[in-house]
Amino acid sequence: LERPAPPRPGGRGEARRGPARPSPAAPRQQREEHGRPRSLSRSAPSPVGTGRMGLEPLFQAWSYFRRRKFRECADLCSQLLERPPGEQVAGRARPRYFTFYFILIQAAWSLKTRALTEMVYVDEIDIDQEGIAEMILDENAIAQVARPGTSLKLPGTSQGGGPSPAVRPVTQSGRPITGFVRPSTQSGRPSTMEQAIRTPRTALTARPITSASGGYVRLGTASMLTNPDGPFINLSRLNLAKYAQKPKLAKALFEYIFHHENDVKNALDLAALATEHAQFKDWWWKVQIGKCYYRLGLYREAEKQFKSALKQQDMVDTILYLAKVYLRLDQPVTALNLFKQGLDRFPGEVTLICGIARIYEEMDNISSAAEYYKDVLKQDNTHVEAIACIGSNHFYSDQPEIALRFYRRLLQMGVYNCQLFNNLGLCCFYAQQYDMTLSSFERALFLAENEEETADVWYNLGHVAVGIGDLNLAYQCFKLTLVHNNDYAEAYNNLAVLEMRKGHVEQARALLQTASSLAPHMYEPHFNFAILSEKIGDLQRSYTAAQKSEAAFPGHVDTQQLIKQLKEHFAML
Amino acid sequence: GRDLICIQSLDGMLMLFEQESFAFGRFLPGFLLPGPLAYSSRTDSFITVSSCQQVESYKYQVLAFATDADERQETEQQKLSSGKRLVVDWVLNIGEQALDICVVSFHHGVSSVFVLGERNFFCLKDNGQIRFMKKLDYSPSCFIPYCSVQEGTINTLIGTHSKMLNVYQDVTLKWATQLPHIPVSVKVANFQDLKGVIVTLSDDGHLQCSYLGTDPSLFQAPKVDSREINYEEMNAEMKELQKIIREATKTQDILPESEKQRDLTVTAEVSPDLDAESQATDSEVKAETVPSVSVKITIQSRVAVQKPSLAVCVQAPLAVTCDQFSFEDLEPDSSETVVLSVFLKGNCSPSELEGNCMVSYNIPTGIPRVAQCSFSLPLRLVCLPAQPSKAAAHKLTIDTNKPPVTFLTIFPDFVDASEGDQANALGFQFLTGSKTTLLASKTSQRYRIQSEQLEDLWLIAKELTRRLEEHFKKQNCKDFACTFSGSIPLQEYFELIDRHFELRLNTERFRELLSERAVQFRAIERRLLSRFKDRTPAPLQHLDTLLEGTFREVIALADAAEENQANLFQAFAKLKSATHLVIMLISLWQKLSTDQVAILEATFLPLAEDTQELGWEEAVDAAVSYLLRTCLSKSSKEQALTLSSQLCMPKDTSRLKKNITLFCDRLAKGGRLALSADSATQPAAGVPGGCATIPESELEERAAVPGSMAAFARHSHVTKQRSKP
Repeated sequence: LERPAPPRPGGRGEARRGPARPSPAAPRQQREEHGRPRSLSRSAPSPVGTGRMGLEPLFQAWSYFRRRKFRECADLCSQLLERPPGEQVAGRARPRYFTFYFILIQAAWSLKTRALTEMVYVDEIDIDQEGIAEMILDENAIAQVARPGTSLKLPGTSQGGGPSPAVRPVTQSGRPITGFVRPSTQSGRPSTMEQAIRTPRTALTARPITSASGGYVRLGTASMLTNPDGPFINLSRLNLAKYAQKPKLAKALFEYIFHHENDVKNALDLAALATEHAQFKDWWWKVQIGKCYYRLGLYREAEKQFKSALKQQDMVDTILYLAKVYLRLDQPVTALNLFKQGLDRFPGEVTLICGIARIYEEMDNISSAAEYYKDVLKQDNTHVEAIACIGSNHFYSDQPEIALRFYRRLLQMGVYNCQLFNNLGLCCFYAQQYDMTLSSFERALFLAENEEETADVWYNLGHVAVGIGDLNLAYQCFKLTLVHNNDYAEAYNNLAVLEMRKGHVEQARALLQTASSLAPHMYEPHFNFAILSEKIGDLQRSYTAAQKSEAAFPGHVDTQQLIKQLKEHFAML
Repeated sequence: GRDLICIQSLDGMLMLFEQESFAFGRFLPGFLLPGPLAYSSRTDSFITVSSCQQVESYKYQVLAFATDADERQETEQQKLSSGKRLVVDWVLNIGEQALDICVVSFHHGVSSVFVLGERNFFCLKDNGQIRFMKKLDYSPSCFIPYCSVQEGTINTLIGTHSKMLNVYQDVTLKWATQLPHIPVSVKVANFQDLKGVIVTLSDDGHLQCSYLGTDPSLFQAPKVDSREINYEEMNAEMKELQKIIREATKTQDILPESEKQRDLTVTAEVSPDLDAESQATDSEVKAETVPSVSVKITIQSRVAVQKPSLAVCVQAPLAVTCDQFSFEDLEPDSSETVVLSVFLKGNCSPSELEGNCMVSYNIPTGIPRVAQCSFSLPLRLVCLPAQPSKAAAHKLTIDTNKPPVTFLTIFPDFVDASEGDQANALGFQFLTGSKTTLLASKTSQRYRIQSEQLEDLWLIAKELTRRLEEHFKKQNCKDFACTFSGSIPLQEYFELIDRHFELRLNTERFRELLSERAVQFRAIERRLLSRFKDRTPAPLQHLDTLLEGTFREVIALADAAEENQANLFQAFAKLKSATHLVIMLISLWQKLSTDQVAILEATFLPLAEDTQELGWEEAVDAAVSYLLRTCLSKSSKEQALTLSSQLCMPKDTSRLKKNITLFCDRLAKGGRLALSADSATQPAAGVPGGCATIPESELEERAAVPGSMAAFARHSHVTKQRSKP
């Protein structure tokens, strides 16, 4: 009998090998960090209201706000709000001082709301979490099985001729790994509740959270901690109708409720009252209502609001929100059209082009995605996401030299983290620049922030060791991977291959079984198991494993050959 | 030639001066906080961004003639009639606060208003329409549109809070450069022979003039602190490490260490008497007092031990007062002692009077280890002495080969000494209520155990044989043996099986009903949800009543299922007792060796707990039919049958009963229990009274088809079974 090709160490482009997820300084993360009063020295605000000549305290607060020193700004505003009214107007003999005082208090209040909001502000467009509950109780689906090319739920066959899973690893939902970690790349879309719950929690393909609201709540509570005296505004006592009639206060208040308190229901109430007060002529309120509806899972209603807002005023943000709704409704084609219309109105808008690229990437159309990422770079050549994605694309399409240039560009831009050096090391290795390989990995290990990252680096070092034929070193590298991250299915698989080479069949089998139970979406453990079982004569198991492998990667030629061979064998019997 | 100056004050007043003389002041409507302000000479208007997040443009003319917005509050009505209200020229809602506004016109006839918002950057036409906008993915701090390099486009500098200065041509990023500080203001300056200098001001007052260089500000990655490489030392260290690794991989065997080398030993000592004051809590037993017995567990360590924790477990109807203990790190040669009490908690008799304790700990190198020991509990814990009763439904007779022993010697804790050693009958009253009587024959060497329930016989029978064996051991009598010659009470045993199986079927039925109701509940919920979400409220059409009703049904079903679960648990305990009894009887009847008894036990008691997915019936059925097919097979035809790969709940128990009956028949005909293929080949000489050995020819046949699936499956099965004990 002719033996099929020898088992490979889990395919060349191991999942998570290399450009797995540089996630270098996602814009989202940057935003978050700006919002946090981290680097600010907590110097006490300059004394207010003392007799000497100083800056007008409100002006001082306003200036702090402009310089994004939100903590100082909020503190100063609190002091202003606590002072008795008499002191405010002391020395002002003008008759309109009461009015002035009234405005001043309102201004300080509004400024403090804005400062508190800015501290925790995260662009709503970048927040995207889909929980199990949302996925399973999805009542927006029109058909059970979508036509090919119209849904994000089906991994499907790649239309863009991108690299196959043999070269480019896939996530558990069957999508190729992207070069950039975004919220939506983390969660797969399992088809049943059981699958969702049983999905193993590997570092890369985190199990979907049980409900999206959980994540939002966490955002909200984090902001509460910054105020030891409890919340600044007691929402339950707020007369929303009164505020809705004051447009100058209402907008700041809304943002505070929505971003800082995460109280979507109250925010929606306020927005609904305000939009009524504005006679439905303010597009901003419509967008805010849409945001609230989106959070509440009322996607069709959100869509209506966003569309109505777009009719009044074309805005990039509104387009992005509407596209997000379409993506959640699993209508990527509509979203694409929307983006393209948006580009007619705002030519060269980076976020729109990037949105198109992301959709193509999620639909497995890698080559189109790459085209659009290149367009992004034409508009903004410091766009980290685009550089990382194009880099990883080049890496997985066998052009490590070009990928290396992209990663070097990232390094030049000041991205300095474990993932980047990890990728640089891999690119160097595959581009045969061996002198740089080990030092890059050394830096990556030095920079690793958590055990998962360390595990990734050791795993890749194991690959390098396999590449240079030092199987002992490879063995130890994979073992170290498992020390750092015990769920590393790829490492189990590769250890099994090494054990197979040594002839330790039982160990190899145990390792392969572990690997396949940890990551059922990978075809390599199944395939290797099939080969192993076939070798020792256990044809039945070999056949079942081969079928699993085929299910995970339908186009794998070796698997097909094996199955054919086994079938012939069975027919003979 | 005159200078006109406009000043915006913090309270929202625009003050206009002509040269040094005050012209007029005007309050802006809807003012809260000052926004950026710019003057557009083309349209002769002031442009600002108000607190309503709108770009507003006011004509100078209008400002000059309007009434003060300040008086609006009091004289709202008058003003409306006067017609001199401050009217805005145009408004554009940008939906965010702005940082700065610039009005520029680099081309003839085209002037643009640039607005730098907090998150976006806008370019507006004269009339307030958006020419273009760009979403910024960073926080800007300042900006300036400075020139037009290419016809129709305008270049802009934007400073950011991440210390960057970006150069845009319209919306395209042309250049990005690093600044040493966060700029609060940026301008482009022309000096005498130095043109186009970028001047930035930091928030601590540093002014910087710079130009866009072509030297990239290369990011200097900090050095990894690496030692200087000394190859000899490294080599030595490497060798050392590899040696350690080799050692570690060598001793990493799965084989447990021998008992002698144990660093830590755990011993349990059951006190001979019941507790004077019962420690039982929450017992479901209806007896007046539930006795308890204290167990003293001692951990002795020879080495330092980290985080030892002790777990004590007893089979379910029994319970312990505390089952988890954790200790401080132990020093070498130290010990810890805990005392706990065991009592009967559930309202049924236990099938085993044994307990286990287990200590898990880390040795100083961090490797986790486990030590364990088991202890057996006294019979007095679950039953009391009582009056013997004559009549009983189930009777068992056990023969011995020695003269009978008085109950006073072997059951001193149950016989009242005052009755003297004449008593040949002994009654046991279980805490759960049932009674068992033990009778000793005066003439022959027999003992009879009788009870109303089959399962109650087990504990007494076991106790009897155990005590007899102990007694004769003490007397140095080596050839003592018990035998059983009656028929195995299979019929009664099958009744227990049926009872257990019926409850399992009930569980299945409850589960189906529950899932049906749950589906119904969700369907109603979904309908209600869509009703509520609908804009035009439709009547609920009693959906709410339906929801309520379904909810009640679900709860009632769940309660019933729980009750069923408790019954099932009791039935399983009884079944286990009866199974133990059957095993004992078979082994006494066929005089099986300990190895064979172990096989029997593995066959009949494969599970500590049965679940719906994998229950007792199918597991035992599979095991029994496996034995029937291998070591107890009659012909090779039976062997060829393949085992079904998956265990699932059978439809009824007839097959199981048939198999068990057949199993007993085959054993009676001299079948020998053995698992490995080798031992099966040997003639069953060791079996007393064995007659039908397995014919030789059969073995050859079996060997002839080594590659077949059946043989293979069997092989793997065997290895699995072996590794279990």
